[in-house]
Amino acid sequence: MLHTLQKSILLLFLTVVICCGIYPLALWTVGQILFPFQANGSMVFDPNGRPIGSLLIAQPFTKDDYFQPRPSAASYDASASSSSALAASNYALRNRVANSLGSIVKYRNGAKAGQLVAPDMESWFQHDQFEGSPHIVAQWATLHNSLAQAWVNADPSHGAYVDSWTKTHPSQVSQFIKDNPGTPNPKAADLAIVFFQNFSKELPGQFPSRVTHVATYGKTETTIEPVNTGSDIQSIFFDMWRQEHPAVELEDVPADMVTTSGSGLDPHITLQNALYQLDRVSTKWARNLKRNPKDVKNEIEQILNGKASAPFGGLAGEKVVNVLDVNLVLRKQYGSPQS
Amino acid sequence: MTSNGVLQIILFLIAVLAFVKPLGWYMARVYEGKSCGLDWIIKPFEHFTYRICGINPEKEMDWKCYLSAMLFFNLLGLLAVYTIQRFQAYFPLNPQAFLAVAPDLAFNTAASFASNTSWQAYGGETTLSYFSQMTAITVQCFLSSATGMSLLIAFIRGLARHETNDLGNFWVDTVRGTLYILLPLSLIIAIILSSQGVIQNFKPYQQVNLLQIIHYQQPITDLPGKLITDTLGNTRMGIKTLTTQVIPMGPVASQIAIKQLGSDGGGFFNANSAHPFENPTPVSNFIEMLALLLIPTAFCYTFGVMINDKRQGWAILIAMFLLLIPMVYVAVISEQHGNPALTQMGVDQAPKQNVFPGGNMEGKETRFGIVNSTLWTVLTTATSNGSVNSMLDSYTPLGGFVPLWLMHLGEVVFGGVGSGLYGMLMLVIIAVFVTGLMVGRMPIYLGKKIETYEMKMASFAVLLMPLAVLACTAIASVTHAGTDSVTNPGAHGFTQILYAFTSMVNNNGSAFAGLNANTPFYNILGGVAMLLGRYWIAIPVLAISGSLVRKRIIPSNSGTLPTHTPLFIIFLGGITIVLGALTFFPALALGPIVEHLIVSK
Repeated sequence: MLHTLQKSILLLFLTVVICCGIYPLALWTVGQILFPFQANGSMVFDPNGRPIGSLLIAQPFTKDDYFQPRPSAASYDASASSSSALAASNYALRNRVANSLGSIVKYRNGAKAGQLVAPDMESWFQHDQFEGSPHIVAQWATLHNSLAQAWVNADPSHGAYVDSWTKTHPSQVSQFIKDNPGTPNPKAADLAIVFFQNFSKELPGQFPSRVTHVATYGKTETTIEPVNTGSDIQSIFFDMWRQEHPAVELEDVPADMVTTSGSGLDPHITLQNALYQLDRVSTKWARNLKRNPKDVKNEIEQILNGKASAPFGGLAGEKVVNVLDVNLVLRKQYGSPQS
Repeated sequence: MTSNGVLQIILFLIAVLAFVKPLGWYMARVYEGKSCGLDWIIKPFEHFTYRICGINPEKEMDWKCYLSAMLFFNLLGLLAVYTIQRFQAYFPLNPQAFLAVAPDLAFNTAASFASNTSWQAYGGETTLSYFSQMTAITVQCFLSSATGMSLLIAFIRGLARHETNDLGNFWVDTVRGTLYILLPLSLIIAIILSSQGVIQNFKPYQQVNLLQIIHYQQPITDLPGKLITDTLGNTRMGIKTLTTQVIPMGPVASQIAIKQLGSDGGGFFNANSAHPFENPTPVSNFIEMLALLLIPTAFCYTFGVMINDKRQGWAILIAMFLLLIPMVYVAVISEQHGNPALTQMGVDQAPKQNVFPGGNMEGKETRFGIVNSTLWTVLTTATSNGSVNSMLDSYTPLGGFVPLWLMHLGEVVFGGVGSGLYGMLMLVIIAVFVTGLMVGRMPIYLGKKIETYEMKMASFAVLLMPLAVLACTAIASVTHAGTDSVTNPGAHGFTQILYAFTSMVNNNGSAFAGLNANTPFYNILGGVAMLLGRYWIAIPVLAISGSLVRKRIIPSNSGTLPTHTPLFIIFLGGITIVLGALTFFPALALGPIVEHLIVSK
């Protein structure tokens, strides 16, 4: 027995030396000599030699001047890769996709072909009629209790907004307590549905959303206020708008544009996704540079087609565009975007 | 399925088959102790190891001796992994200054890597230091794989030898398996991966300046952390700016090569092979998928060489492929079809040649698209590897059903390195016995009589897995400790639990990763399940081997049932499906099947 123990310990120790010492060090040497760029993370540098990213790790881009990567379940935090882990059957996935669709969907044909649907959606929202009855926000909260509650919990400022509403509406709160004897001390999330139903009646065609002000002492600050346009309305009410306008033909949005990747750090988008973003990007650069939009669009389209690639002529993997790479080319060609 | 996708799958399968014969031959030479071409460089290391450890390479062991050496060595490995994690704060190579891993998590990880499971309840880049990754994780990747290979070789010797007690020497088999097979193959694969962009360095995490500065809003708090509100009760929000990103670094390539080869699957990063630093290009993906199948498929040929009847090895390999290919088809079709809930809203999931892979892209990387993500998933669960390049939790219900079902077959379609083939040989013994009963012939496999003792032991090995999986799933489904970890509603939540225990008992290690598995309940029950799944099967396997090796070989005659014919191959496939499918059908009906009906309604 003691003999076996001795052999085990020595063999384990030797394996550590060989498999954790010699093997990775040999590999490290080979890597640093033959493939120093790859072995050190495919990093790219600015002219001053400071690292500005890895070609293999997605960075967040939100400006219209840039191509944007896929949404990330890891918030593009490269030190904590993760996926959404939402099941295909989970309503939360459907809702998240609907939210991201709202601000990007375009008309496919007709007079407005290629234009964003968002402005029409906003005026539909301001009109405040859904399936023949008034008050879209109230109907939304009634149909999707969990979404209304999720809105309250999504951000501390949302909860605070509902709390301040309860102070000015004691009768609604006491009515809620009477209807729900199980919740004698309702929290903000419990009151979410009542809150939205009341909000919708008092402020038809509006929704509480963030508004940024420049405060007196020069700092920018954000408060929650009722608004009738903006990204919240486009994203939250897209699904309802679509239900009421099933016949309107929209351009299909490429799947990778609204789904999160496995790592949350997918550095690529499909060529179709890039082409979908092409209009937005080229229009913005044309305006920045005061040039003909058509020319800029053609130039950028060429860049995309040149950069889109898959190994062995497509016999392995899929044809993709590296977002950081393309954006660096745009910067090189057109300069830094105006802020 | 696109034509390009079909072509990619066929090319891959051809590449796999091309390696079966040369690698199988090479491994047979290694385990038979014959010269194999690499002796001039490795032999000195091998003899040095024997001398240092006091191993007498000439000494043969009987099955009990072989078993106790194996168990002892594995137990020591388990203790080492546990200890290193608990004390990682005091060891070098810890640039991120990670603290000790919690005891329940450390136990789970130790059980997981000793048993070749690599279930990861932790996120690699946020939990383990480079020292722990290398000395605990990478070492076990080598040793647990080598252990599985040794067990298989001992079992094959039980069939090949006769009228003796000797099954070989555990130490010699493990040392030769590591030095001659795992290490050279890892080195070659790691170098190719490195060229593609898998990192290999010892730098601390790198901070980079983002190209675009990102502004986001966040509530302002005062010093005690209370929200500041204005007179109307509005929370005051401030604008924060994000200017940098932290890029993780580390010795990744060396671990990825062995985790793919050794049916281990434990990645360096949380996202495993979906992470661009573990699997940066379609080429690296191809190599990593090839590495998944190399050893398990080649072992079929090694088996044929060692028992001196190559047809037997090919027959088993064909049976495995016949079980695999329909599963690839079902999974790819289902994923390519996409998620109906998203199609309704106008999300384009239809593939277009050369522009767009289409399909259900939630949890998948664009560079792999549908075909290479799904093919990987089928292969990683057909073998007991368990590494992932896309997130199974977000698969369509049928796409998620396939990996689950492949594991329910008992990890015998290729299976783990070594463990897959010995699991399949258990089923072969059962198939021989059952056909023997059906046609009224003496059940004989490769000239060895299959008797009560062998059947009892084979039943032990085959029945433990379903029992453990279903019992653990049942416990988790009715306790708060189990259900609190579930993150998706409805049938899918149940599938998350079923998948977790199926994966752990079968030593696979893949997961429906939404399940919050890092809780004392899952860590401890799961750790025990992994150890049971590995050793409770290894023990009867060696016992059968010890019994078979004593028997004399009966020359085959017209009354012997041939075990290399198409008839037997189909019968073997049937036995595998019946044992797997029937045992788990009720559980599957509650999980993926009902979810499929809901989603596609």
